[in-house]
Amino acid sequence: MSERKPGRIMPGEKGAAPLDIVIGVMAFLAALALGAALLADRASDSWKLGLANRITVQILAPEKSDTAVQSEIEAALRVLRGTSGIARADLVSEENTLNLVKPWLGSDPLIRELPLPRLIDAAITPGAPVDLAGLRARLKTAAPDSVLDDHSRWIGRLREFARAISWSAFGILFLIGIATAATVAFATRAGLETHHAIVELLHQMGAQSGFIARAFEWHYFIATLFAATIGAALAAGVFVIAGGLEFAGVEPAPFLPPLALKLAELGWFAAVPLGASLIALVTARISVLGALSRIY
Amino acid sequence: MIRFENVGMRYGAGAEVLRDVTFALEAGSFTFLTGPSGAGKTTLLKLMYLGEAPSRGLITLFGRDLATAKRRDFPELRRRVGVVFQDFRLLDHLSAFDNVALPLRITGRDPRDYRQDVEELLSWVGLGDRLDAKPATLSGGEQQRVAIARAVVARPDLLLADEPTGNVDPDMGQRLIRLFAELNKLGTTVLIATHDRALIASAQAREMRLVDGRLVELRMPRL
Repeated sequence: MSERKPGRIMPGEKGAAPLDIVIGVMAFLAALALGAALLADRASDSWKLGLANRITVQILAPEKSDTAVQSEIEAALRVLRGTSGIARADLVSEENTLNLVKPWLGSDPLIRELPLPRLIDAAITPGAPVDLAGLRARLKTAAPDSVLDDHSRWIGRLREFARAISWSAFGILFLIGIATAATVAFATRAGLETHHAIVELLHQMGAQSGFIARAFEWHYFIATLFAATIGAALAAGVFVIAGGLEFAGVEPAPFLPPLALKLAELGWFAAVPLGASLIALVTARISVLGALSRIY
Repeated sequence: MIRFENVGMRYGAGAEVLRDVTFALEAGSFTFLTGPSGAGKTTLLKLMYLGEAPSRGLITLFGRDLATAKRRDFPELRRRVGVVFQDFRLLDHLSAFDNVALPLRITGRDPRDYRQDVEELLSWVGLGDRLDAKPATLSGGEQQRVAIARAVVARPDLLLADEPTGNVDPDMGQRLIRLFAELNKLGTTVLIATHDRALIASAQAREMRLVDGRLVELRMPRL
């Protein structure tokens, strides 16, 4: 004898495509926001790592002779190399200095005529304490035209920027969560209206409210899971394509870290459909129980 | 089993559909509810299956005063009542089998437990070969028999039927009445709302008559 599988209590929803589309689009946006948060987090880390252990000394004295500038450079290098905690200090060649300004100023031969500062790049031994104020004073004495930059202002601003992106992304996720809940609540109410006869019959037969709510909540859980998975997968696709473009040599905006997300980071995208369908499940349940409590 | 005392019912601000209805149904009794259309028969049944709350008066069901019973106890009370609705109220997307199994399913019973019961019952009402048919493919009479099977499948303590033989031929009508009588012998209290005089005559039973929302006659069968 073949097993008879009980039919679903709630009929398949006809005309539910708009709900699926809305949820799919919201999941897409939520996943983009999530991707932005992940990138901002990674950017913040890479900026920290890239700049935190570095200091730069600039020597800009356009009115002084090359020899005078050269002696200031040498004096500054001596001070740096003689400071404990400084792992190394090297003069950045003029060629490299020009390369640094190339993104902003281009490579016109005229640029060479500009009074560009000479740069000394120094690395701090990780973990070693360096008395930056003392170093700054000693440098001023040895090379009066030197300016010490420990990048703290930059790092601070970049981290603030990354934090702002993260918070904005989480804010967007939160708003999308609320919008998803409101959409599902609305759809559940419409569903209750459409299936009023079924709900009333089950209620009259003595079905517990939880039994009726379950029929609805699973319906919306599965519908949302399906639509949100497609939305999140499309968003993941956007990041994969962006990564592919980078790989193919298309340059993203300067200063930003690579747009390609790692596989483990893409794994976070699975949280979007799961979160959305849980929101749908809880919202549907609350809506149905609320509606049933108003029936005699 | 069931007691109505001075029960009145009105929908919204409309006129009273039932007025001062007072009666009692003893456990294991078999009763017909008659009266012209619009007399309030369906409303009276609705009050008995907890489909509506009365506007006034006292209803006692299975020894519980409904005015003081807790809402969370209502599902349990409702499960003890089987109802055959005048408009059947079958779920269009479910098969005849699934429709009949619904009252068992909502109690959480395993489909393997009730499968045979449901199939036998559907065979009894002449639908053994239409188990998988959807209501839309069944005739009015067949739908009515599915509705009856659904009402009796859980062996309710109280069976309420609103015009249960309205769409079947006299032979099937008699067969269904025998089903109700069998159920009644097993202890189910039966109340059938009907216009069908032949049906009433065939089963020697008490008759309650409603006219304009009032219970005017309570007749015991001729012995």
